[in-house]
Amino acid sequence: MAAVTGLVGVAVASAIGSTTMVDASTARRAASAPAGAERELNVAIVGNPQMEDIADLTPDLFTAETGITVNYTVLEEGTLREVVTRDVGAGGQQFDVVMIGMYETPQFGSNGWLIDLAPYATDDAEYDVDDLIPSVRAGLSVGDAMYASPFYAESSFLMYRQDVLDEAGVEMPANPTWDEVAEIARTIDSDDMAGICLRGKPGWGDLGASFTTVLNTFGATWWAANDDGTIGEAQVDQPEFKAALEFYVGLLADAGEDDAANASFNECLAQYRDGQVAMWYDATVAAGLLEADDSAVQGMNGYALAPVQETEASGWLWSWALAIPQNSPDPDTAWEYISWATGPEYIAASGDLIPGGWAAIPPGTRLSTYEIPEYQEAAAAFAEPTLTAMDAAPIDGPGTTPRPGLPGVQYVGVPEFQDVGNRCTEEFSGVIAGRTEIDDALSACQDIASQASS
Amino acid sequence: MALTVAPRRAGEGFDRPWRRRLPLLPALVFTVLVTQIPFVMSIWYSLTNWKIVPPTPRKFVGLENYGDLAGDRFFRDAAWVSVVMTVSAVLLSLLFGTLLAVLLDRKFFGQGFVRTLLITPFLIMPVVAGLIWKNQMLNGLYGVINWVLNRVGIDSIEFVSRYPRASIITVLVWQWTPFMMLIVLAGLQSQSNEVLEASTVDGASAFGTFRQLTLPHLRSYLELGALLGTVYLIQVFDHVAVMTGGGPDSTNLPYFVYQRSIGGGWVFGRASAYSIVVVVASIIVATVALRVLSRLLKGEEIA
Repeated sequence: MAAVTGLVGVAVASAIGSTTMVDASTARRAASAPAGAERELNVAIVGNPQMEDIADLTPDLFTAETGITVNYTVLEEGTLREVVTRDVGAGGQQFDVVMIGMYETPQFGSNGWLIDLAPYATDDAEYDVDDLIPSVRAGLSVGDAMYASPFYAESSFLMYRQDVLDEAGVEMPANPTWDEVAEIARTIDSDDMAGICLRGKPGWGDLGASFTTVLNTFGATWWAANDDGTIGEAQVDQPEFKAALEFYVGLLADAGEDDAANASFNECLAQYRDGQVAMWYDATVAAGLLEADDSAVQGMNGYALAPVQETEASGWLWSWALAIPQNSPDPDTAWEYISWATGPEYIAASGDLIPGGWAAIPPGTRLSTYEIPEYQEAAAAFAEPTLTAMDAAPIDGPGTTPRPGLPGVQYVGVPEFQDVGNRCTEEFSGVIAGRTEIDDALSACQDIASQASS
Repeated sequence: MALTVAPRRAGEGFDRPWRRRLPLLPALVFTVLVTQIPFVMSIWYSLTNWKIVPPTPRKFVGLENYGDLAGDRFFRDAAWVSVVMTVSAVLLSLLFGTLLAVLLDRKFFGQGFVRTLLITPFLIMPVVAGLIWKNQMLNGLYGVINWVLNRVGIDSIEFVSRYPRASIITVLVWQWTPFMMLIVLAGLQSQSNEVLEASTVDGASAFGTFRQLTLPHLRSYLELGALLGTVYLIQVFDHVAVMTGGGPDSTNLPYFVYQRSIGGGWVFGRASAYSIVVVVASIIVATVALRVLSRLLKGEEIA
C-alpha cells in the first residue's frame, strides 16, 4: 500500500516536472535572446583539422555570446556516416545538427529526413545566402530546397614540392595528364622520399574518391545508366576499368608512399608535411594546411589541376555541410548555430585565432572569403587553382559515358554506392597491399556491383 | 530414520510441484520474453526484403533470403575465415599454453610473479589489445617489430595490410594462451606424484614420462580448453573491427553480419537471415560440445 502511494507520488511529481519543462521550452522559443537560459546542442562532426578548429573556438566565439552550449561528437568519416545514416534514417534524436557530405545531402533531402534550410537562410540577413558559391549551393539542394549549409567545399588537385622538382630538373605543366604525372613521380622517387602519395585506404570516400576520378578520366565507370536514370549493368569487368586499376596500383607500387593500403587524407598530409613524399593528389583543402603557419613545408609547394587522361577535367566536387535532422527538437536554435558556423562572421574571425593562420580557414564556400585581404595574401599560392578547380569540376559529365542517379564526380549519386564502394575498395586495397590478385579483386567487385543493378 | 508420508488430500498432488515452480516463473517468463521475442522478430525480418538504403518498405518474400544465401560467395568466404581463424587460434594457443604450463609446473624463484605476468594478456580488453598490436607492434612505419627487423637489415613488412588474417590470429593467440595455460596447469598439478616418481624410478626419460603418462592424463583438460576456446573465439568481433576493418581475407561471420546490417549494408532482411543461420549452426556445435563435455565429466567421476 505504501509502495503504491510512493509510486503515485513519483508519477505526479514527474508529470508536474515535465509540464514545467514544456512551459520553459515554449517560453524559450517565444523569446529570441534569452539571457541566462541553458540551451544545448548535440552536433556530430567529422574529425578534420578545420572542424577541430571550430570545436576549439566555439566556447569563446559562440557560447559566450549566445549562451548555447555545443556538445561536439567528433567521429572518423566512416563511423560518422554510419552513425548519422542510422540516426537520421530512423528518425532518431541523438543529434540536433549533423555534418553530412554532398553525397548524402540530396538523397537524405529527397527521403524527407532533413529540414529544408532555405526559409531560414533567406530570412537570416547575417547569413547572406547569396554569398554562397553557386555550384556548392546547388550540390546541397534539391530544386529550391537547400538541405545543408556548407562548412567547407573543395575540389581536388595535385600538390607538389616545387623545390624537389626543380632539383630533379623536371617541370610540371599546369594541366598535366596522368601519364606525365606518373613519369615525374617515378623520376623523383627515392628511398627517402616517395614520388607521390595517393589514397589507398578502403572506403568509398577514401580510396573510392581518388580512384573514381581516375576511373572517370580513363573512360571507365562503375555502372551503365538505364534510360530512366536507374542503375544499369555493372561495368567493372570492362577493359578500361582494369586499365585504370592497373595504372593506380602500378603507380603506388613504383613510386607510392609506404603502407599505401592504410593511407588516406590524414596519413598523406602527415607524410607530405614531414617531407616523406614529394607529390600528393588529394583535396584542395589540403593546400590550406600545407601553407599554414605551423607547416614545415610552407611556401615550398606548387599546384596543378587534377591530372586528366581522356577527359577535359577530372577534379572532384565535395562539401562537408551542416544539416538539421527532421525530428530535431529545437530547429531554431540549431539554425542559430549553423548560421554562425557557416556564416561569413566565423570565417572572418577565425583567421587570426586558429593555429594554422589565415591559410587554414574553411575554404570554398563563399565568394566573400576570397575578398578578405589577409586570406588573399596567405592563400596566394593556391586560392586561384582552388577556385579554377571548383569551377571546372565536371559534375554533369564526369566521364565518357552517362552515369545513373544524382550528379557526382568522385562517387555515383545512388545510395547503393556506399556499400558497393566500401566493399570494392576493400578488394582494391588488398591489391595495393599485395595480397590479392587484380583479376580476383575485379571479379569480386563485379559480383558486388551487379547486385545493385536493376 | 523412517520416512513418514503425509496422507494425500484431494487436489494436493497437483498443488505441491507447482508451488515449488511458482517462484521461478517470473524469472523464467522474463528470460523467455527477453531472448525469444527478438529472436522471433529476427526470423520475421529474415522473411522480408527490408533494407533502408534505398528506403524499401518491408515486404514478405518467404525463404528468398535463405535461397540467395546458398549461392552467396561472400557468406561462404566469411564462414571459411571464421573456421580458419577459430581453429588456428585454438590449436596454437593450446600448444603454447601447454608449453608454458609445463615450464611453470616446477618451483623456481619468482614463480608467482612470472605466472601473473603470463596471465596478463588475457585480462586486456580485446579492443585495446587489437590497437596495441596494430599501431605499436605491427605498424609498417613505426612498429616495434619492424624496428627490430630493420636493425637486422630486413625491410619493413606491413603486417596488417599484407597478412591481415595472420595478424588477427597472432593477437588472438597472444590473448588466449594464458587461458589455456591455466587449464593445462591445473591438469598438470592434478597428476599424482607417486605415479611420476614411480616412472622416474623405472628409468623413463622426461620426454617419455610426458608422452605416456602426462599427455593421456591431460586429454580431458585439453579438450575442455579447446571447447571453451572455440565457443568464445567463434564470436571474435573487436579484433577484426579494430585491426583490419573487414576486407575479404579477415571478415569473419560476426563482422560480416554486422557489415551487412548496420555497418554499411543496411540490408536488414538478408542480414537477419545470415544471423539466423549462424545461430542454428552455433546451437548445433554447442549441443555437440556439451554432450561431449558431459560425457568427459561423467568419465572423470567414474575414473
